[in-house]
Amino acid sequence: MSVNVEISPIFGMYTDNVLNMKVEGKTVRECLHDLVRQFPTLKKLLLDKDGNLMHSYDFYVNEANVYPRDMSKPLNSGDKLNVVYIIHGG
Amino acid sequence: MLTEKDLQRYDRQIMIYGFGQEGQEKLKQTKVFLAGVGGLGSPIAIYLVAAGIGTLRIADHDTVELSNLNRQVLHWEENIGKSKVDSAAAKLGKFSSGINIETIAETITEANVSKLVGDSDLIVDAMDNLPTRYLLNKTAIAKNIPFFHGAVYGFEGRAMTVLPGKTACLNCLYHGATVPKVKFPVIGVTPAVIGCIQATEVIKYIVGLGDLLTDRLLNYDALRMKFTEFKINRDPDCEICGKTSGQVKK
Repeated sequence: MSVNVEISPIFGMYTDNVLNMKVEGKTVRECLHDLVRQFPTLKKLLLDKDGNLMHSYDFYVNEANVYPRDMSKPLNSGDKLNVVYIIHGG
Repeated sequence: MLTEKDLQRYDRQIMIYGFGQEGQEKLKQTKVFLAGVGGLGSPIAIYLVAAGIGTLRIADHDTVELSNLNRQVLHWEENIGKSKVDSAAAKLGKFSSGINIETIAETITEANVSKLVGDSDLIVDAMDNLPTRYLLNKTAIAKNIPFFHGAVYGFEGRAMTVLPGKTACLNCLYHGATVPKVKFPVIGVTPAVIGCIQATEVIKYIVGLGDLLTDRLLNYDALRMKFTEFKINRDPDCEICGKTSGQVKK
């Protein structure tokens, strides 16, 4: 099942500036794990030791936020998953 | 009450359909609390003063450093080592002598935030860290006043407007997530764009024009010159603005 992922531009340095990619998975967790399988340099950046998305990042499904912030949220084929860095500068 | 000089000075914006003298009068009667007068705070302050805001209350504990000058356009070489609020107030006072500028050279903390915001009509978030942004958001909810959020990193920026009790708040958006406070990369044009968006939202809110950036997070990617949005649904269980919050102290 193919899900479209878009990552924040700041990740571009780890992905050769590829910001849009297709991943396989039935949940947010599976899709993120397929993402770091395709781009191993993202793994340490995005995932903690339990394989969860680190707190400095957030995800959106079909361009909307998700409550609760649950990695087991099911995704459908063709869904869009955005992974963003929580920016804080002023 | 608008003076003859006000009518001349603000003539071009009074001409805007739906703005009028009534809108200008509303701006003149409004007190804005601006948290931070750095990269975001500089354009926000400049454009709110240019628009004829009544009172601008600026809080920033920092002093001007050489490394600020690539983006913090209210501060100049002659101000290095000086208080940012004093530096900003001096420029803004020369720009428009009719605006009340109040300065607070203090760190915003949980203990003083309510007092510092005082009787301001709204809060503009131009901070450089998440914990203080959360404090300001919580204070806005408690005081039932709007909150205008903006943040930048490199060539990226984000903005969202919060109407307490009606729209998603900053905690609904970030659910208390934290990011280490480290030196962040940024170029001046990014906070210039995001700060102007925040100032635009403030003006629209006061005058009562257009659709606000509520329940939406605006993302600005300057490198690809793209604006995108995420829909931000209000979290019913948000500990700051949700059903079970309610106990937030004013």
